[in-house]
Amino acid sequence: MIGEILKGMSITFKTMFQPPTTVSYPEVKKPVAERFRGRHELKRYDNGLERCIGCSLCAAACPADAIFVEAAENTDEERYSPGERYAKVYEINMLRCIFCGYCEDACPTEAVVLEKNYELASYSRESLIYTKDMLLVPHPADIQKTA
Amino acid sequence: MQKNDQADKFIIPIGPQHPALKEPGHFEFTVDGEIVTGATIRLGYVHRGIEKATESRTWVQNLYLLERVCGICSHIHATAYCLGVERLAGLSVPPRAQAIRELVVELERIHSHMLWLGVAAHEAGFDTLFMYSWRDRETVMDILEGLTGNRVHYSANILGGVKIDVDAEQTKTILQGVDFLEKRTHHYLDVVTTDSAFVQRTAGIAVMSKAVAEHFGAVGPTARASGVTQDIRIDAPYLAYEDFPVEIVLDTAGDLKARFVVRVQELFQSYQVIRAILDKLPAGELAVTMPRRIKENETISRVEAPRGELFYYLKSNGTDKPERIKIRTPSICNFGTVPALAAGHQLADMPMILAGIDPCFSCNDRMVTIHRPADDSQTWTWEMLRQYGISYYREKER
Repeated sequence: MIGEILKGMSITFKTMFQPPTTVSYPEVKKPVAERFRGRHELKRYDNGLERCIGCSLCAAACPADAIFVEAAENTDEERYSPGERYAKVYEINMLRCIFCGYCEDACPTEAVVLEKNYELASYSRESLIYTKDMLLVPHPADIQKTA
Repeated sequence: MQKNDQADKFIIPIGPQHPALKEPGHFEFTVDGEIVTGATIRLGYVHRGIEKATESRTWVQNLYLLERVCGICSHIHATAYCLGVERLAGLSVPPRAQAIRELVVELERIHSHMLWLGVAAHEAGFDTLFMYSWRDRETVMDILEGLTGNRVHYSANILGGVKIDVDAEQTKTILQGVDFLEKRTHHYLDVVTTDSAFVQRTAGIAVMSKAVAEHFGAVGPTARASGVTQDIRIDAPYLAYEDFPVEIVLDTAGDLKARFVVRVQELFQSYQVIRAILDKLPAGELAVTMPRRIKENETISRVEAPRGELFYYLKSNGTDKPERIKIRTPSICNFGTVPALAAGHQLADMPMILAGIDPCFSCNDRMVTIHRPADDSQTWTWEMLRQYGISYYREKER
């Protein structure tokens, strides 16, 4: 019995000199995997035009019914995306989203991408309905919006 | 604690909300001093109505819903569902997809068994083993995150195949992780079989004979620890288990120690099969196209979840939604053994006996129809209920 206690304590003693496994989150953050599925982003082309064409395929694919898309026609004066249509309203309800990545697979233009941000906590339900302004990546400032 | 005057015995109720329980369930232990003489279990506090919810969702949406039946063995639920739906639709899934599914299933089994090892050690008061095993479990969690993009709900399956591929770099990471885990598992096997303080809590406790296991219909590692030769991976190979087989792990002792040994030994089988899959991963497509609607048909699907046999019954009606999905999870088969094993043991052994079957409360809480004798009718009319309510509250006022 004494021998076994010593055997057990020797493991404890050896472990004392190993660096701790725990991470002091949120000061230190572990990098997430390359394939990690976090908060969505709506991507742009290199020329600044939105990739999203408002086709609603993501909304149709979504198993949790978290996505709402309302499309509108592009005009020559106001052009958002290369095709005929763009997403006038694009909302994702982060309370409903299950981060399965099916919207990503359904998207024909690779506009919606699940990125690496996982810190989505908020104080109200309303603020967790992410609008298009929040989801769209910033416009490259040096490129003009007109195509 | 409440005193039962008639029988002059103590009945200790535990739950549904209790600090010792991770999930809600109600237990009543009849005790004579410290010795438990009888136990009753009441389940159903986390019934979520998933089976009914599937009927209003499409086949694709249900894949993600059913993956969330269990938080630990999520991929196996999705796999069982996929196998059933693919059989209904008459799809033949490419061999590479089947092998990748099996790879994720086995990684998930490692994660589940290591989680169980930690929880069971914690119930025994051996928190050091709990911390170490969970630290090492992070290795397999990281592998799963790297492979599928998430730690828990992997969403690796799609109807007709898989969404993810395994490349050379992934293979290297997985093999490294598996080598590390194998080394650690040898250590854990040593600990659970030789540490005398721990073995006192497990050896000879809750001994379940083969006959009892078969009588209660125990499944999975719980049954295999009692010598029941039953493993769906071997009895009815699915996925790629014919090409990448596992060997059955048996123990005839039937006590808690045997359940530890069987589950830890099963880890070695998982490591071996993961290496075999990565070595000879078949080339080819990852998925085939799945039709939106499935013509009227019905099928069953059986797989070996980490806790035992998981059973799905699927019925289609020609639309894009299922007519009926019935799930039978392994925990409910094993729960019946707990009251039978409890009698005669110390009250302090109860958490260990319960943890020994690796219970998952929320995945096992679903509708069960009990056939009562015809004369034992429980049908009350609205008027009878009303009168009962009035007299009940009158009694209470007095």
